[in-house]
Amino acid sequence: MSELTQDQLPDEHAYVPPVARRDWLLLTGIVIVATVCILAVIGPYIGPYDPTLTTIRIAIPPPSLTEIPGQLTGWIAGTLDHAPHWMGTDANGYDIFSRVIAAPRTDLMIALSANAISLVIGVFLGLIAGYFRNWATELLMRVSDVMQSFPVFISAMVLVALAGRSSTNIVIALAFVYVPIYVRLTRAEVLAQTARGYVEAARAMGNRELSIALRHVLPNSLTPALIQSSVTVGFAILLTAGLSFVGAGVRPPTPEWGLMISTGANQIVLGEWWPSVFPGLAISITVFGFAVLGNALERRYERN
Amino acid sequence: MNATDPILSVRDLRVGYEVPGALVTPVQSVSFDISPHEVVGLVGDAGSGKSTTALALMGLARAPGKILGGKVMFGGQNLLDLPDAEIRKIRGRDIGIIVQNPRSALNPMLRVGRQIGYAYQAHNKATDAQARAHAIDMLRLVGINDPERRVEALAQELSGGMAQRALIAMALSSNPRLLIADEPTSGLDVTIQAQFLDEMWATVQKTGSAMLLVTQELGVIANYCDRVLVLHQGRIVEDALVAQFFTAPQHAYSREVLRFFQERSGDYPGQVSGGAGFVQTRALTKHFPLRGSAKVVQAVDNVTLTIAKGEALGLVGESGSGKTTVGRCLVRLVEPTSGQVLLDGVDVTALSAADLRRARARIQIVFQDPFDSVNPRWTVADILDEPLRVQEGGSASGRRDRAIEALRQVDLDPALMKAKPGELGAGTLQRINIARALICRPEFLVLDEPTSVLAPRARNSLIALLARLQVELGISYLFISHDLTTVRYLCQRVAVMYLGQIVEEGTVEQVFTQPQHPYSRALLSAHLMPDPSHRRVDHPVPAALEGEIPSPIDVPKGCYLASRCPNVTDACRANPQVLTDIGDGRAVRCERVVRGELTDG
Repeated sequence: MSELTQDQLPDEHAYVPPVARRDWLLLTGIVIVATVCILAVIGPYIGPYDPTLTTIRIAIPPPSLTEIPGQLTGWIAGTLDHAPHWMGTDANGYDIFSRVIAAPRTDLMIALSANAISLVIGVFLGLIAGYFRNWATELLMRVSDVMQSFPVFISAMVLVALAGRSSTNIVIALAFVYVPIYVRLTRAEVLAQTARGYVEAARAMGNRELSIALRHVLPNSLTPALIQSSVTVGFAILLTAGLSFVGAGVRPPTPEWGLMISTGANQIVLGEWWPSVFPGLAISITVFGFAVLGNALERRYERN
Repeated sequence: MNATDPILSVRDLRVGYEVPGALVTPVQSVSFDISPHEVVGLVGDAGSGKSTTALALMGLARAPGKILGGKVMFGGQNLLDLPDAEIRKIRGRDIGIIVQNPRSALNPMLRVGRQIGYAYQAHNKATDAQARAHAIDMLRLVGINDPERRVEALAQELSGGMAQRALIAMALSSNPRLLIADEPTSGLDVTIQAQFLDEMWATVQKTGSAMLLVTQELGVIANYCDRVLVLHQGRIVEDALVAQFFTAPQHAYSREVLRFFQERSGDYPGQVSGGAGFVQTRALTKHFPLRGSAKVVQAVDNVTLTIAKGEALGLVGESGSGKTTVGRCLVRLVEPTSGQVLLDGVDVTALSAADLRRARARIQIVFQDPFDSVNPRWTVADILDEPLRVQEGGSASGRRDRAIEALRQVDLDPALMKAKPGELGAGTLQRINIARALICRPEFLVLDEPTSVLAPRARNSLIALLARLQVELGISYLFISHDLTTVRYLCQRVAVMYLGQIVEEGTVEQVFTQPQHPYSRALLSAHLMPDPSHRRVDHPVPAALEGEIPSPIDVPKGCYLASRCPNVTDACRANPQVLTDIGDGRAVRCERVVRGELTDG
């Protein structure tokens, strides 16, 4: 027993570093989102063809799996008379591959701007509505309920139809329909944070209410909205594509996934599946990537 | 197997989990025995592996933990070698477990009687009707009134104390030979805690089983345990009889935890002479309106308190007595419904918003939960800077020096300035909260249960710090606590609250040695002193109260305690009681005490 009594007690202030664990979902999300972001910058320049110019080869199917190695070596060796159309060409002669990788610039830019605008407005209104509770903020919440009760797609379509088909109007329409989500999310978190002791402590210190709301409550209430951002950007991409698909989005020949699906859809009955399937896959993977990232971030946040 | 053989014999038990590149073993090489009729206490700091050990005894480990090795000999076999099906039969039948937080351990969808019945049927052949009858018997055994009605209750319809008893009933339903209780009374009020432990102790004695009681409370150890195991960093560092543990602790941990109590005897901080009231409340009342009803919750009812300059007043009472609301009214975080709070003659409740903000430099508050009361994103430097920036301004470097000085004042290393709250322990963080409250040099500090979430070692050092600061700074405290031991150590005077009213007030010496009001007597008798020479189980105490605290929505017409008081008369039920001065600086709210009818009751 005696040697044990020599034991030093551990420091009361011992710091235990958190255990990091590999999170495959998070990694998948990051890889997809990063790829899409990089393509948004360089996509229009790295494709084998100009995404907005047609070729003389119309409705060429993509190379079959057995042709791919031959085309690849031929392309590298420079023995082909033109660069291969990896995803074929559509009825107008556009190279689908070049357009698929050029489209993130349009889709992501619209989605990111719309998300940024709705995030800023929504968080601000959510903070006000959660921190200062009175009849005015109650009214704000009811208005936001009404806005949320319309289907997002229909609202956006009507707004664009009324304001005209331009990228700016699409951004404004998307921002408008996503604001209520952020108001609600932020308000819920603000309500939770306002009940915490540090808010009372700040009040007991003699802080003004506005300063408590901005310095203490706001930074601690941002996380849910930021996590939601990732999911919202994904869905905003889907919505942008959807608007183009129904003819309420960007104008041709802008490379845009929804527009490409829409153009290709006419040829599907003729057995030309490739003009629609490849942009469709691109949308699916992108939305999946953003959703998975948001999900993984959310779980990480809840764990802490 | 004869009667003196141990019921349970643990050898070299190890529990651990893998992290990339390392093996963490919260429990390493634990060995001990438990004999029949024995109540063994398992103590240790937070994170010492107590709960992990308790679970491992039944072959369980919380993910990602695994039992890595060792032997748990029970009934002649090693439980860790048994196949799952076999060990499941033993769990619940031969070994019962009672966990912390009883309400979350009960299934909210199932009636209590069904849950106890299922536990019984899992190990015994019984029809539903037999199981139900058995459940009623078990509830009666653990002292629940009207068990025929309570078997139909859902978990959320029971109070904490009653839910805990339902859990014991479940654990005892198959007459286990060993009971494992993991901090069964944390979060319960002292009166309920004492009732509960009395029952557990009696059951063990009656049935010849044994109990392993995991706890951090020395009072519980001293009053109920026969032997103590001290767990430190995953090892048993001391295994001693209770008397020996308290008189001659062997390990550094034991010595440090006990030192506080040994030093305390006779060494109270200096008595502060009464003098004019520096902080006063006059008929302070707070009613919370009930949503959708004309009724109100009467949280604070006509509380008049006086705290002299440099004095520490303790405010004690069960949960729901309104002590926290009084504290919040004093710093005006809650607006009182009526009444006044005077600070040095100025009515705080009448100040304008701007004047109140300035006055807040003079009155500060420390909250119960240290983690909750600091902004989790800020560094310690930001946290300490805020009050100075708000109240005084001045240069950033001047404020930084003040912050470092404040850290030193609470015995913390200035290197902590860069730390964030999540990286610190509860005790450290509570010191930072105190430093923040003191940094603008207030004259009055409300301490709202500042030690209730701390482990004993951190709690003791924090109380010693507060006592030192009180003398050094000449500051007044309102110390709100349900832990009577710390109140006795820190405070000069004490007020006892019950259902929003002060029922007794006097010096610590007066109230603790000769409580007058029946409620104070009950509260003090339920208090478990960390002194094994006056074990509660050896000296049964008669002053117990019946039932639980009434709802503050429908308060009784006469004396609020009438429904629970052992000395109740018809007059008490009819007449509201008045807080009456009985001389010597004491006041009591009980007409029978004032008339001298209850001397030595």
